[in-house]
Parts: sequence; C-alpha cells; structure tokens
Amino acid sequence: MRVIHAARAATRYLSWIGLATLAALVLSACATRGNDHPTSPGTPALLPGQVVTEQGRQAADLYLPIFLLAVAIFILVEGLLIIVAVRFRRKRGDDALPGQRHGNNVLEVLWTAIPALVVGILFVVSTGVLLKVDAIAPNPAVTVDVTGFQWQWTFDYHDQGLSFTGAGKDGPEMVVPVHETIDIRLHSDDVIHSFYVPQFFRKLDVVPGRINEFQVNVEQEGTYGGQCAEFCGLSHSDMYFTVRAVDRATFDQWVIDEQAKAAQTPAPPPSGAPAAATISLSASNNLAFDQATLTAPADQPLTIKFANMDPANPHNVSIKGALADGKDWIGLPITKPGQDAVYEAPALKAGVYTYYCSVHANMTGTLTVQ
Amino acid sequence: MATTALPQARSYRRAAAYDWITTVDHKKIGIMYVISSFFFFLVGGVLALVIRTELAAPGLQFVSEQTYNSIFGLHAVNMIFLFVMPMLTGLGNYIVPLQVGAADMAFPRVNALSLWVFLAGGLLIESSFLFGGAPVGWTMYAPLSTHVPETGVNLLVLGLIMTGISSILGSINFLVTIFRLRAPGMSLLRMPMFCWTQLVTSVLLLFSIPVVTAGLIMIFIDRNYGGGFFEPALGGNPILWQHVFWFFGHPEVYILILPAFGIVSEIIPVFSRKPLFGYKAFVVATASIGALGFTVWAHHMFTTGAVYLPFFAFFTFLIAVPTGVKFFNWLATMWGGKLTFDTPMLYACGFIALFLIGGLDGAFLAVVPFDFMVQDTYWVVSHIHYVLVAGSVFAIMAALFYWFPKMTGRKLDERLGKVQFWVLFIGTNLAFFPQHLLGLDGMIRRIADYSANAGWSELNFLSSVGAFVIAFAILIFLWNVFSTLRSPANAPDDPWDANTLEWATTSPPPVYNFDHLPPIRSERPVFDLKHPGTGHAPAAASLAVTEGPVQ
Repeated sequence: MRVIHAARAATRYLSWIGLATLAALVLSACATRGNDHPTSPGTPALLPGQVVTEQGRQAADLYLPIFLLAVAIFILVEGLLIIVAVRFRRKRGDDALPGQRHGNNVLEVLWTAIPALVVGILFVVSTGVLLKVDAIAPNPAVTVDVTGFQWQWTFDYHDQGLSFTGAGKDGPEMVVPVHETIDIRLHSDDVIHSFYVPQFFRKLDVVPGRINEFQVNVEQEGTYGGQCAEFCGLSHSDMYFTVRAVDRATFDQWVIDEQAKAAQTPAPPPSGAPAAATISLSASNNLAFDQATLTAPADQPLTIKFANMDPANPHNVSIKGALADGKDWIGLPITKPGQDAVYEAPALKAGVYTYYCSVHANMTGTLTVQ
Repeated sequence: MATTALPQARSYRRAAAYDWITTVDHKKIGIMYVISSFFFFLVGGVLALVIRTELAAPGLQFVSEQTYNSIFGLHAVNMIFLFVMPMLTGLGNYIVPLQVGAADMAFPRVNALSLWVFLAGGLLIESSFLFGGAPVGWTMYAPLSTHVPETGVNLLVLGLIMTGISSILGSINFLVTIFRLRAPGMSLLRMPMFCWTQLVTSVLLLFSIPVVTAGLIMIFIDRNYGGGFFEPALGGNPILWQHVFWFFGHPEVYILILPAFGIVSEIIPVFSRKPLFGYKAFVVATASIGALGFTVWAHHMFTTGAVYLPFFAFFTFLIAVPTGVKFFNWLATMWGGKLTFDTPMLYACGFIALFLIGGLDGAFLAVVPFDFMVQDTYWVVSHIHYVLVAGSVFAIMAALFYWFPKMTGRKLDERLGKVQFWVLFIGTNLAFFPQHLLGLDGMIRRIADYSANAGWSELNFLSSVGAFVIAFAILIFLWNVFSTLRSPANAPDDPWDANTLEWATTSPPPVYNFDHLPPIRSERPVFDLKHPGTGHAPAAASLAVTEGPVQ
C-alpha cells in the first residue's frame, strides 16, 4: 500500500515537471513561424534558431553540448531526488531513528572535484570560441558606423559617403555584402543602447563616450531584423532596424544607386500643388511647448520649424488625427536637446487639431487650421 | 513552610499598537519585518500581474509604454529590496537569537531603528508612483537614469539609500549577535546552518551596500545638481555606474539566496531525522560562495565591451562548484533517512527540484559567446525568476510554514499548504519555463510590446497564465494564514520533532526567550536532548563539567 502511495506521489511529481516542459515544447511547435518580424530567427524552441554569421555559428555550436550536459545533470539530480523521496519515506508508526551519518570526506572531494573539472573544461572551450567571435581583422571590406540615439538609429558608410536614419519601428536598413568581413562600430549620442541581431547570435552595447566594435562575416543572403536590447527609455520597445545581406554585385549597385539618390537635389513641388506653409515652434523647459496655440492655413503641406531649446530632453512635434486614415502624424526623427529640426507635415483640412510631443504625452498645444 | 503572599506586580498595560511601535523585542520586530515585506510582496505581485497581462498578447492593451517602463523596474525593486531582503532579515531577526540561545539581538534599539528606516524607505519608494513613476529599471543604468525627468526616480534613489542604511545596521547587529551572544557551548561550528548563512549574508551586505549607496548618491547628484559622474560629455563614465551597481548587485543575488540555502538546510535534516550531511563542507561552501560572490560582478556586463571577459567568466564558472556541493549534501542528507513530507519539507524539495534549473540555465550565461546572444533577453528573465521564485520564494514559504507554529503557537493547515505547494509549483514552471525559449528566440526583456508575427504570442500567453496560477497560490496562502490565526492555538513547543534551540522554548517564546537552555554539544542540541547518545555529541555522562563560553 505504502509503496503504491509513494510510487504514485513520485509519478505525480515527475509528471508535473514533464508537463510544464512538454507544454512549452508542444506549444512552441504549434507556434506559427514568423519570418517578417524584425527580430525573430524562427519558432521559439529549446535549440537556437537560424544563425547566419560565421562568428555566430561558432558561438551557437557551443549550445548543444552544454544543453545535453545540463539535461544529464538535471536527470541525475531530479532522479536522485525522486528515488530518495520514494525509497526513504518514513513508515507510519516507525519511530526508530535512521542511521546518523554525518558525512563522508571521499564523497565531498568527489562531488567538488568532478564539477570543478567540468566547469574548467567549459571555461577553456568557451574562451577559445570567445577569442574567435571577438577577433578583429585589420582590413574589413565594409565599415558601418552605427549611432544609436533615443529610439532611432543612424547607419553611416563613411567610405561610401552614405548615411541612413530611421526612427521607431521604421528603423533604417543596413545593407552588407555576404562572405566578407563587415566591421560594425557603435556610437551613442545619449544613453546606452545595444545593437542586437538575433540571427547574428550577438549583441554589443552602444555606450556614450566609447566606441565598441565587432566584426561579422554573413554567410547567407537575406533580411534580418534587429532591435535595441538595452532599456533606453520611453520607446525602447520600438527601436528596430534591419540588416540585408546581398552578394557583392548587388551591394556595389546598391551603393551606386544610393549615392545617386543622395546627390539629387530635392525636386521643386509641381507647379499645380499648393506651396508649403511654414510654422515655427519651440520648447524650452518644464516639458512644455513655448506656444500653446498655433494657426496654419488649410490644405497646404506644413513645414514645421522646431527648436528644441530644452537642455535635457528630446522632443518632437506630432499632430493627432492628421493622417488620411485618422492616425496621428509623428514628426521624426526626434530632436535632440539643444538642436533644431524641420518637419514636413501633410496638408490638413480646416479644423482644430492637437499637437503634442510623442516623447512626452503631456506636452500639448492647439493647432487651428483655417 | 511560611510564605508571605506578595501582591502580584501588574504589568503596565499599554495599547497594543503603542506596544508594537515602541518594541525592541527581536521577535516582534521580526514579525513586523515579515508582515511588511509580505505587503510589499503583494504590491510587487500586482505589478507582475500587470506586466504579464500586458504581455499576454501582442499590442498595447492595458498600459502605456510610459507606465509599463515604470512598472517592470518597480516590480523588481519591490521584490528584491522590499520583499525578499527584509523577509529574510525578518526571519533571521526572529530565529537567529533563538537559535544561538540569546535573549535578544545585540543592539535591540538599533534593531528597531533598522525596521523603521526600512519601512520609511519602502514607502518612499512606493511614493514614486505618485510622482511620475521611475522608468529606469531596477538597475538604473546611467545616463538614462540621470536624464529622465520624472521626480519618482529621485524618490526611488532616496528610498534605496534608506533601505541600504537599514541593511547596514541590520548586518552589524547580526554579526555582533552571532559573534558575542552565542550560548555557552555553542562554538561557531555548532551553530545551525541558518545562522551561518545569515552570518555570511551580513558580511556580504556590509561590504556591498556602502558601495552602491555611494553610487546612488552620485546618481542623485548627477540628476539634480549636474554632477557629471556618469556623463561622458562632462568627463564622466556610464560604465562606472555599472561596475558600482553590480559590485553590489551580484553579492546581492547571494544575499537573496544564501539564507534560503540556510532555511532548506534546517528543514531537510529535521524531516529526514538525520544530521545535515557534511556540515563542515557546507560551512566551507557557504563561505566560499560569499567570497567568490565578490569576483563575478562584471558577468552582468559581458556585452558592454568594456570588461576583461575571461576573468569574470572563470570566476562565474567557479562559483557554480560550491553551489553544486550543496545540492549533493542535501540529497545525501535525505539518503538513508526517514522522510516525512509535511509542507515545509515539500517546499524544501521543491526548492531543490526547481532551483536546479536556475543553476543550470545560469551556467549557460557564463559561456560568454552564448551570453552575447541571450543577455537582456527573456532567457535572463527566466533565469532570475528560477533563482528568486523557485529559489528564494520557495524557501521563504518553507520557512513560514516551518516557523509559523513558533511565532504564533498555531500550525498552518497542512492540507491547504500541500495544495498551495502544487499550485505554486505548476504556476512557477508555467510562468518561467517558456521564457527560456522566448529568450533563445531573441525576445528581449523590458519591452512593453512585441510583434504579432514574431511567433511569441503562444508562449507569452502560457507564461501569463502561469503568473495568475502563482497569484492563486498566494491567495490560498493568505486564506490559510487568516483562518489559522482565527483558530485556537494548537501547536506544541516542538511540533516538527526538530533539532535546534528555538524549539527548546515555548511557542511563542517569552520576551527573554529561554528560562533555561539545554547543554549544547553539537549543532543539534534539542535532538541530543531527546535522543541522548545517538547523535554527534558524546553522551551526557562523559561530560563532567558544564562548558564555559566558547569563542
């Protein structure tokens, strides 16, 4: 009777651990594969997903042996626990004391030395891989200077004279050739960010006051999502970017095209279209705009000259319900403390609108369009 | 025999509230620590439910990004600084003087001061909700924490400085109590393991809290007076804050878990009816964890690009060894014993079963190239929750069930306790295991929202369900406490047939704890008293004279 009871308890115990693990595994297997999300390398599982760089692959290859080792230790300890719980359960009415063993020095030495040996091996192996992952080759094929600032990224290709900035979920795209060494140098203008591409199996912090650098050799063409991985304030969740890896010819053509685009002067507005109207506004301190009300002409694109005179906080100008689909128009990029910006807002129909700073939702004013 | 009947001196009666507020009795102070930290646990728990509700499905449904960013940091601050730390301090406050056979802590008034400074600090931290919140995370990384305008951050910093002062005072009090007030016969190597872990924890506090307090003051100066300590444009260095913070922050992890090890090491021998296997090895392991705890801080900074990686990786691997030793010692204690699975023992076994996962997934993080992938992802969130929920919370639950009869004279309901254990066990795994998979797939932490097509929705939903299962387990516990306190006192002085001195006095103990103490000849004086000649201590007959105080 007692044995059955104990066995049942043990089965129950085992099944809960198994159940939780299984539930997680089964559910993850059912999960739909998300290719178009900027950061996901595939379906969540107990093994790493797609890894596309030479350096990342070496790091990811460490995972499976360590995972198997962990599973072995898990089974050993949980197994011992279950065996002990079943075998040494006290019988009802058994008041005799068990043997009072105080310890065993041989055992103590063994279960200190064996784990020490195991972690020693892990240290040597993982440090070997670390040296390869962190290695910096002297002549990279392409160097990209990445600047992170609150909820935006700028990718500068100084050798090619190209620069791309994008904010929030519309982050910029970094185009790189495959099978060549790409040098990525990280700069920050404000707080700490982290440059993270899951398919690179790598992140590196973007720290103000220092330049961090790492190199990758992308082995597969494709588009890979990235995201800021260090909490950096309000819109940290949305600080996306993408990396597109292409063959060398495509990359060279892309450089030529982008250089041509950058050289073009913006075309004058077609003669039939209404000229843009200009309004000016500023923010000095106390997290408020200096102008509580503004007026603008209707049905003309607006050029908003914004001066952020606040010494400490980034601001922008956004207009509630300004887009054709009723959504807010957000002025991007967000203006850093002490800098000026020019935003191009769409034409508005006559009416009363609220403008606000998307960083500080309480910073509002009234825009009368007539 | 002629006797003179003297009139019984009537004690001076005071209002109960006045009595509790002015008390310097370590037991009342301990209980107030336990109750107030449990209150903060509920606050932190509600914040956790808000987080998990928001993350249950993609899209922003319930809170704004601004609110979310405050909530995840204050959840951590509540759980770490206002729940686990003071809860363990409170249990230590109640139990340590009893276990070493002392009448009170060494400095009873300082003890009361610690409690009230902690409470004031806690309320200051909670008040940050009223002043814009504190959207900086519990790590308060500069220069974000010095840039954000919210007044709540100032309150958070000041509150943390106050709880830090409380911890420093408390740790000095524990150290002096342990070194000076042990009963005659209780050498350091006859001290219960819970006292040992409190001793090492106090040393860790004493060395780490002043460092972070200095750092917090620097943050405060940077925020309010333009100090520039962490501002590169002014010659400061943001990495410096991380060094200062984690030099405290990593020993902090052991501050949160060592007393939990102590609790488990008290409970397993009692319910196995055997002494702790390898007591001295256990002491050595505890002390080495304490020492090594100061050599691994920068493993939280592997991805800053600013630390010497192999050094910190090496010591991070190394510290796994003494922790592993403890697992084997616990299992060997149970081996060959006669086990009963009352609720405290269930929780102790649950601790072993689940804390193991937190140890194993932590070992992955010591592999630097792998850490580059999962640092700041849900893998780390999962790891810390397996350590702090499956570890600290399970041990705290074990301790509350174990010592509740001593504190109140009443045993918590065993049936409810066992139900609660299984609910909590399931909830913990449901909430935190899926987060490993999310982290390995690149889901970063501290985000209010994730994309619907990332393939993360199902596991996040599962995790949120788990959070509510945990909440249900806590409700069962509250009901258990409530209904038990309403029932008559039913617990004998030694309800678990236990080993250590707190069970040699009444439940609850009188103001000065002991009328007389049993002789102390091993780490199990109450066991020796009940089973003369069977334990580690020599039989009483061989001891001719009473031993004097032992240093």
